[in-house]
Amino acid sequence: MLEKVSFGVVAFALLWPGFKVVTARNLVHTVFWLGLTLASTAVLFIMLQAPFLAAIQLILYTGGLLTLMLFGVMLTARDQGLLTVPNASHRRAFGGLLAVAAFAMLAMAITQTTTLPASPTAPITTQQLGALVFTEQALAFEVLAVLLLAVTLGAIVFARRGDAGSATENTANSIPARKPLPAPNAAVSQAKGA
Amino acid sequence: MADLLANPWLRGLLQGALLITVMMTAVAWISWFERKFAGRVQSRLGPTMVGPSGLLQPLADALKMFQKQELIPSAADSLLFRLAPPLALFLALGGAAVLPITQGMLASDLDVGVLYVLAFSGLLAFPIWMAGWSSSNKYALLGGMRMVAQGISYEIPMVLAALVPVVVTGSLSLSDIVTYQATHHWLVLWPPGLGLIAFIIFFTMALAEGNRIPFDIPEAESELVAGPATEYTAIRFGLIASAEYVHSLITCAFASTLFLGGWDGPFLPPLCWILIKTVGLFVLITWLRWSLLRVRSDQLMALCWKYLVPLSLGILLLTGAFIQWVG
Repeated sequence: MLEKVSFGVVAFALLWPGFKVVTARNLVHTVFWLGLTLASTAVLFIMLQAPFLAAIQLILYTGGLLTLMLFGVMLTARDQGLLTVPNASHRRAFGGLLAVAAFAMLAMAITQTTTLPASPTAPITTQQLGALVFTEQALAFEVLAVLLLAVTLGAIVFARRGDAGSATENTANSIPARKPLPAPNAAVSQAKGA
Repeated sequence: MADLLANPWLRGLLQGALLITVMMTAVAWISWFERKFAGRVQSRLGPTMVGPSGLLQPLADALKMFQKQELIPSAADSLLFRLAPPLALFLALGGAAVLPITQGMLASDLDVGVLYVLAFSGLLAFPIWMAGWSSSNKYALLGGMRMVAQGISYEIPMVLAALVPVVVTGSLSLSDIVTYQATHHWLVLWPPGLGLIAFIIFFTMALAEGNRIPFDIPEAESELVAGPATEYTAIRFGLIASAEYVHSLITCAFASTLFLGGWDGPFLPPLCWILIKTVGLFVLITWLRWSLLRVRSDQLMALCWKYLVPLSLGILLLTGAFIQWVG
């Protein structure tokens, strides 16, 4: 009974912020709601006796959320203290259709799966997970590593390109020579001297 | 009574209440200690008036904080502004749950204790940024942005350094790590040299994470008033300030658990040893705070990305090799 109640609470804490992520118009609020959703997911992992996944969920998404926030502030227009997300309503019908289709597919997959155990028989330990990653799933692990490396390299290339551009703009020649500071007021310096 | 304690919900509640009480009491007198220490460093006396040697000053401060008028700037984002201080304190206190105080005495012996503490202390940047942004104050926002930049950078070497004890002991559970150190070597000494470097990296990054000088760039009071806490008054300011003290304290306890043997030590009972080590590290932090200058933001970034990330990666690799072929 208690388990069902607590699951209900966590599920609500996961779904309601998820809804708010889509409907909130303030970008920073959106990131905040997203943070709540991700934290609730971590709680769900804990309820499924997977504390490792829960901790990883929190650690990984922290960095991601903080970066999102930075983008939220830097890349959107700041209008009267509110960061608003453009409301692209002309795609709403199409988006809704996609969402319904995705939901139907997921619901079908879940209802038609019968082979899953009703509850986790024995919690999987971190050691087992680690061994799995480096043996059975080694190929997927390496592919992911290569993918991340490619992304990192790409980011550096883009950043460097921007850098080179601004560097040529900011050469010493293009900066207007700074005016010499006005000579200190003779009267003031005299007054101070006296 | 035993029946009551058998109920896991009730037991958790009691343990939590006890832990919070202990932590907040410790924070009160740690702040007294820091003010005394700062006074002595600057040839002053620090608090002297309330109680003997000013010992009751924290109580007076708390009372004052509760009584003061709370101001919320009219341009502030009211919800996030109100939410940030309690969230900060919650995340700061959360890490305490898995710290082994003595053998078998800890609120929760999680399988992944190390990651748990790291997750909570890493998340702390989130409410601080929230406080900075929601204040609608340019100094607060600047402080918040610096916090995020710092947060993304220091996290990586810190986690990598904390992984060295994990690789040596082969466990993510803090009580296992301490038990290993009680039966083998303290991890600051083992693997020889590597452990010490890992400890120094971890401790340096912990300073950056706790916003302590020389890395208190987000709240640099000579440039940004009080950083993200600029617009906060009364008990909300008190919550943010105590969140930072709680966090410093927990980081000290975490560092002594990971590297300095936790409750392990000769002659004295275990509880004394963990207290001595934690308070010792806190004295070190305070000492650094009142002797060093603040580094610039770009200097911290360079330190993190150019030196500490490669260094900590190398240490982790060498530790792996050491465990494989020597230990």
